[in-house]
Amino acid sequence: MNNRVCILLLEPSFLVREGIKTLLSQIGQAFRIEEVDTVIDDLDKLLSRVKPEIAMINPALLAKKTIFNRDTDQQSNVIFIGLMHDEVSTNTIAKFDFCIHINDEKAEMNKVVEQAYRRLSDLDTDTESNNLSEREISILKLVALGNTNNEIAEKLFISVHTVMTHRKNITRKLGIKTVSGLTVYAILNKLIKVEELGGSANFVR
Amino acid sequence: MADVIHLNHHLLHVLNRFNIHLGFGDKTVETICNEHDIHLDFFLDIVNTFHDASYFPLQHLQKFKAGMLINYLQKTHAYYLNVKLPEIASYIERLNNDESILDAHKKLLADFFADYQHELIVHINKEEQRVYPYIKKLEKVLQNDSASREEMEELSNYSIHEYEAEHDDVEAKLFDLKNIIIKYLPPPKDSRLLNVILHELFELELDLNNHGHIEDLILVPIVDKMEAALRSQLTQFGQ
Ligand SMILES: [Fe+2]
Ligand SMILES: [Fe+2]
Repeated sequence: MNNRVCILLLEPSFLVREGIKTLLSQIGQAFRIEEVDTVIDDLDKLLSRVKPEIAMINPALLAKKTIFNRDTDQQSNVIFIGLMHDEVSTNTIAKFDFCIHINDEKAEMNKVVEQAYRRLSDLDTDTESNNLSEREISILKLVALGNTNNEIAEKLFISVHTVMTHRKNITRKLGIKTVSGLTVYAILNKLIKVEELGGSANFVR
Repeated sequence: MADVIHLNHHLLHVLNRFNIHLGFGDKTVETICNEHDIHLDFFLDIVNTFHDASYFPLQHLQKFKAGMLINYLQKTHAYYLNVKLPEIASYIERLNNDESILDAHKKLLADFFADYQHELIVHINKEEQRVYPYIKKLEKVLQNDSASREEMEELSNYSIHEYEAEHDDVEAKLFDLKNIIIKYLPPPKDSRLLNVILHELFELELDLNNHGHIEDLILVPIVDKMEAALRSQLTQFGQ
């Protein structure tokens, strides 16, 4: 879930939309938002165009005949958050994964959005854990010791492309982008010793 | 002007680069700009890009002189080199007084920062020695009606797109250093000094982001226009 989350915001009120955007930006997860302020007849069509991960919907903008059916392809992977202005029937609430009432306290709204984000990262099996795999650790060591991608590929009998994929995952998991940064990480975690670096290290001069 | 600082105190450094210093009283931004002989729109656009990274000063772009921008960018460089980097380095050196941090770890941080400092200095020197002088000369030749053809041809050997293409990101190591301190360094007994260092790194990152933004999104398009003007003058020579 390191990429931007795409959020569809279906809400007629400008002020409420701005408020929601402020709320989202304060949570600190990067997001891209698509705003719609008109009544929607065909929700599936909108979803397949925007492809959001989260849809925040004011049910008043769903036309009566709109099919709100979680079993369709377009809807099955989207997390729906209801944006309620008035009292709504429990029937309507039940259709959403989460609900926010616009009179809710800020903390309450934050909690809902964070829960939605968490649900999202559960769906994303790729990032279930930030621990490095065995393979990633051996690649990290070689990077820290000053090997190029080509050298690593040769040593481990894998393709350069595979090395690059591993490196991307290492960077994503650790939050460290540069070779020097990875070297410091490897030393701090005793994966390599400073002495091993010799003159090859790019920063321990 | 005081309201501006109440709104976003990070802008204090930006004001200093315009030689504006504290003690504004109730003077408006316009008054202060007039007093300091600063182009008001230019000042507002710089402040706005700093305050809001998505702000893009399209309307005024044509009015600005490249020289104005370079002047501001050079002041920012000087601030990094003479103030910010030595300041952070001295905080990192002060970590030596903390016995709860391993010597090896202190050395790692110090070396890493020294390496970063070096990288930033190289980046800045290249701009100061190669790119900015080129832009200034370009501006001068375009303003001078009697510029010789040789001067123009010499200028046309370089293009700002070369700079644009290799203008690298100087924030990556800074980003790593932040995460190393936040996530991976074993906790010290007292975090206060590391907190200060982190705070400084965040500030520097913010400032560098804005600086790079001005270079890429404001300076480059202006120079691009100037280069087009130069090319058309050269073709006129050819006729
Ligand atoms: Fe610069
Ligand atoms: Fe730069």
